[in-house]
This record gives sequence, structure tokens and C-alpha cells, in this order.
Amino acid sequence: MTRRVLLLATLVFVFLVAPLALYAAGTSEAVPGKEIELRWASIWVGQDSKAAPVNAIIAEFNAANAGKIKVVVDPQPDYNAHEQKIRTAIAAGIAPADIWTMKLNPTTAEFYNSPLLMDFTKSFKGDWKASFDAASVTTSTINGMLKSLPFEVAVLPIWFNMDLLAKVGVNAVPKTEAEFWSLMDKLKAAGISASSQMTGDTNAWTSMIWFSHFAISMGGPKVWSKPFTDPVFVKAAEYTKRMIVDYSTADAIGLGAGGSGGHFLAGRTALFSNGPWYAGRADLAATPFFKNITIAGLPAFGPTSNYTVSRIQANICAVATKDKAREAAIIEFLKYLSLPANVKRIAEASGAMFAVASDATPANHLQAQFATLAKNTKVSAQDLEAALGATATLEFGQQLSAFALGRISAAEFTKLVEAKIDR
Amino acid sequence: MKHAFSLSHISAQILKWTVLLFFLSAALFPLVWLLINSFRSNLELQITSFALPERWLIGNYERALQVASLPRLFFNSIVASFSAVIINVLISSLAGFVLSREVFKGRDTIYTIVTAGVLIPIIAFMVPYFSLITKLGIYDSLSALILVYASVNIPVSMFLITSFMRSIPKELEEAAIIDGCGFVQRFSKIVFPLSQSGLVTAGTFCFIYSWNDFIMAMLLTSGLSARTVQLGIKFFTSQFITDYTSMFAAIIITMIPSVGAYVFLHNRIISGLTAGAVKG
Repeated sequence: MTRRVLLLATLVFVFLVAPLALYAAGTSEAVPGKEIELRWASIWVGQDSKAAPVNAIIAEFNAANAGKIKVVVDPQPDYNAHEQKIRTAIAAGIAPADIWTMKLNPTTAEFYNSPLLMDFTKSFKGDWKASFDAASVTTSTINGMLKSLPFEVAVLPIWFNMDLLAKVGVNAVPKTEAEFWSLMDKLKAAGISASSQMTGDTNAWTSMIWFSHFAISMGGPKVWSKPFTDPVFVKAAEYTKRMIVDYSTADAIGLGAGGSGGHFLAGRTALFSNGPWYAGRADLAATPFFKNITIAGLPAFGPTSNYTVSRIQANICAVATKDKAREAAIIEFLKYLSLPANVKRIAEASGAMFAVASDATPANHLQAQFATLAKNTKVSAQDLEAALGATATLEFGQQLSAFALGRISAAEFTKLVEAKIDR
Repeated sequence: MKHAFSLSHISAQILKWTVLLFFLSAALFPLVWLLINSFRSNLELQITSFALPERWLIGNYERALQVASLPRLFFNSIVASFSAVIINVLISSLAGFVLSREVFKGRDTIYTIVTAGVLIPIIAFMVPYFSLITKLGIYDSLSALILVYASVNIPVSMFLITSFMRSIPKELEEAAIIDGCGFVQRFSKIVFPLSQSGLVTAGTFCFIYSWNDFIMAMLLTSGLSARTVQLGIKFFTSQFITDYTSMFAAIIITMIPSVGAYVFLHNRIISGLTAGAVKG
């Protein structure tokens, strides 16, 4: 009997108490002369098109700083889970890693109030600062603090499958609103789903981009400062519903980004909306219509024309530390990562665009079109998610489904989203 | 015999089997869909969501094992799940024994408070557990997962085990006391062995939760040394691109242990649940 009790006690100790004791000693304070290990919670891992060049850059940095600094990637392949983890960690008063990325929007901007984030303001100067796009830096500076570095940026135009347009006798992207709706009607009459819409996921991604196009065109680049119940948003909602109900695939309501993109990849839809990262996909390059995709903006639906929808896609944050050696190591790595030569490598491998100027050569004709579009547009404005934050965007997606199903009116839709905007 | 061939009997049988087959199909369809699509290419999947593969791609399974380092993650999942089950069952059975066999003031209150834990959504534990685990210094270790999995499942395990132990006749213990058994011996020689079905049921629930958990594994680990198979599945997705068919192959692989556990133990699980429900 005593042996059994001893066995039970031993098992509890081995599995519960001993591991706690073994791990309890860990601290992250740098010891002089000892290699500083920096943990980077990175989303650019696994299947991501930026994974390979970023890993190569890290390996080179580690080799050049052997014995002094070592950057270790904590892979975060699931972006939604990554965001959840960051929120949880900061709510718990603990930095999620030494370095991590986040989408800067009004929701995540709240993190700037946390003392956990390093303020780059003092160290961000000279050549380092000069290499960054000034507008992106301004956007990322809140209350005089630069607690996240703008890194990946994007424009979010419309993709046209010109092979499908040619089937209905159209050989150029529409230049006016009338031409646009005429194209939609022709595609519909030919039995072709005109556009890839979706209301699923946490942000109704592709339809959110369409909505942003309509709103910016009608309300100008500062449209997001208006109340969401403004007639501009009501009209933009009605246009978006029309695109979903009349000119999209039957499964658009509730569909996720994978399904929306899948329709375009399968040649089922003629128009699509997404960022430059999608241009580097191998399965897109394998489609028979790849060479005949045109990247362009929408025609003017209001007073604003020649505009583009854009966003800072990823900002880099670092942990605030009193350990000067660790702080210096973090800065040194971020400077290396954002060297124009390194950014060029990532851009060329992935097709993504960055807030750091580089002379990257586009890898394919789609990426070249993205670069030209970004260069030639007069007006640039943020999309809904970047401008209004995650909470409002989540509500936007959920209520867009109800609106598209006819359960609520456009006015009710905008009122419900307005209630979730933290101004 | 006449009754067996009557029209109403045949109609009832047809109706019964139609309803049963409908629900069987509804239950099995997602699994069949997943299995078949795990052998197809992503392009085939995007063109038609459900069809037999043009060519059966075993490569999806090879990629599933290589890309996500599934063998290592499998090992981590096995260690975390089995350790959590052992600790959970030990603690819950000891507590269940006291709550089901001993009479003391506040017994029912303690039982109600602990078992009320089943009503709290797991997401509510995220911040407190993250804070606790990092302060204990066991972040990114299997110990963190073992501790959390064992703890999170205590309410449901205690509910099942306590209910089961209450169904064991008191006369057996009384006889043991006459034979000289003390408190610990009554537990270890009488109640614990007789509670096997209840323990297996509780252990299986704990195992299935631990094996399938994504939220806590994502939150409390950051590297390959402690991550589990459910996180491995996510390696086939990125922010904008998903290798669906390889991911489906990975899902099929990760389902094997929990489905296997149920197949081998389902008789005990059902008897444990029944005993707890009816006699508890």
C-alpha cells in the first residue's frame, strides 16, 4: 500500500512539480559577453512568399554576429492566431516576443499606450530614417511615439481577367461608371460571375476592398473621418450589395478569402481584388489567363478619380527593455533587415511592396503593374480595416452578410458598423 | 411473422433506416470529403470542391509530414496529452473519492464550485493562464501545456468520476473497513479499481481535448520543441495563401490518435457515461 502511495506522489512530482522547478529559473537579462538571443514572432514562415528571403537574411545576420546576437524565429503561420496572441500577451502585461509584427490600425494603435513596446523615436534617424517612406512613418507615429516601424505596404486594386472580358466583347478595363455597370451586365448575361466577393473571415477581405473603393471614390481620401452613417457609406454599401447579390458567385455570402481567390484562380470570376503578394503565387502563374490579367483601379463613382486604396500591411514592433545591450541588438537587427538591399531581396522574391525604398525589379508583369499603379495614382487612401480598426471591420463583415441577405437596410447596416467604431 | 411483413412495419423500417442513413451520411460526409480531397491537387480542389482525384497524390501526405515537422509535433502532442491525462485522472479521482464517499461540511458547495468550471469558455482563461505560465517561467515548454490541459479538464473529470464513484455500493467499503483498510487503502484497493470505466471516460475526454487543443498551444508555445500537431496544421496556411490539400492530409494524420482512442475505448467510455448519468 505504501508503495502505491509513494508511486502516486512520485508521478505527481515528476509530471507537475519537477518541470516547474526546472524551468522556473529562466530570465531574459543579457549577461555581458554572452550571446543575446532575440526571439522574433514572425508571420513570414511556412508557405508565406516572404519566408525564404527573410530566413536567409536572418541566417546572414546571425553568421555576421556569431557569439554576439542570435535571432531566433518563433513561427506564427496563422495570422489571426498571431494577432490573438499579441492581444492576450499585452493584456497580460507581457511582451509576446522580442520582435513581432502587427497590422497598425485604430485597434492595435492602443498598444502604443503600453510601456511594453519600444519607442524607436530616438534611434530612428539618419540613413535609416531616410530610407523609409515618410508618409508611412507619419502614419505610424502616434502622439509623437514611433512604437512600430512601417515595413510592408500594399495597394489594393482590382484584378481583371481580360480573357473573360474578351468573351463579352470588352477589351479594356472600364473607364467610367457607366462602362463598369455595362461590363457587369454583359458578364452576367453571358453566364459569367463578374466578381469574387465574400463576406466571411474576420474582415470580409475582398468585399471590404470593394467597399473601400466605392467609399473613397465618392467621399474622397478623408472619407473615413465621416460618421459611418454618412450617405457616402450608405451608397457604398448599396453598391457593394449589388456586387455581391447580382455580380458574384452564389456562395459569396459567408465565403472566406481562400474561396474568393479560388474562384478567380479557377477562371470562374472576371474581377477580383487583392494586394501585390497574390501576384507571386505559383498557381496563379500556372493559369492559362495569367498573361492576360490587368491590374487597375475602378473608374470614378464620385468626385475622386485616379485614386488607389492602400495600407501599411505590417509594422514591426519590439519589446521595450532597460537592458541597453539587448536594445542595441534589436535596433541592429532591424536596421539590417530594413537595409534597401535586403528589402529588395524580399520584394523580388515575394512581389510584396515595402515602406523602405529599394530598386527592386518586379518578378512578373503583375508586380510591374502594381508598381506602375502605385507610382501613377494621384490620391491614396487607406482601406476600411486600416482606417477604422479590427472591431469595426469584424462588424462590417458580419452585418454585410445580413445586409446582402436583405435582413437589414443599408441605413441599418451603416448604423450598426458606426456603433462599433471607437472614435 | 405476419407482423414482420405488414405494410406499416415495412414503412416504419424504411422511415427508420432513411433517417438513420441520412444522419450517418451527414456525419460521415465531412470526413469522406476531407479524406478524398487530401489526395487531390489544389487546382482540382478550386475547380470542383468534391470529386475523385484525377491522380491520387500521396505526395500531399509526404509534404504534410515534412513541411510541418509533424513527427516531432506528434511526439510533443503524445507527451503533453498522456501526461495531462495521468495528472488529471490522479487529481480528479482523489478529489472525487473524497467528495463522493466522505461526508463533511461544505462538500456539496465545493463540488458545485469546481464542476461549474465546465460552463466557463476556454477563451476566458487565456490571459490568466498566459500570465501564470510566463511568471512561472515555463512558457514554451511541454510542462506549460501539461499543467494547463490537466487543470482545464478537472471540472469535467471530477463531475464524471464523482458521479461514478457515488454509484459504487458503500457495503464494499464497509467490508474493507472491517478487514482493516484505512482511508488510503479504501481508495487505492476498493474505489479506484472499481471506478475504471469512469476514469477511462474522464481520461478519454481529457485526452481528446489535449490532443485537439489549438488555442492554448498557440498561446503558450513559440517553438518546435513544445508545439503540438494542431499548430502544425497551420503551417500550410499563411496570411494570404493556403495549401489546402496538404493541410487536409495533415488533418487526417492528426485525427488518427483521437479517433483510435475512441474506437478502442468506446465501450468503456459509454459505460462510464451511462453509470455516471443513471446512478450518480
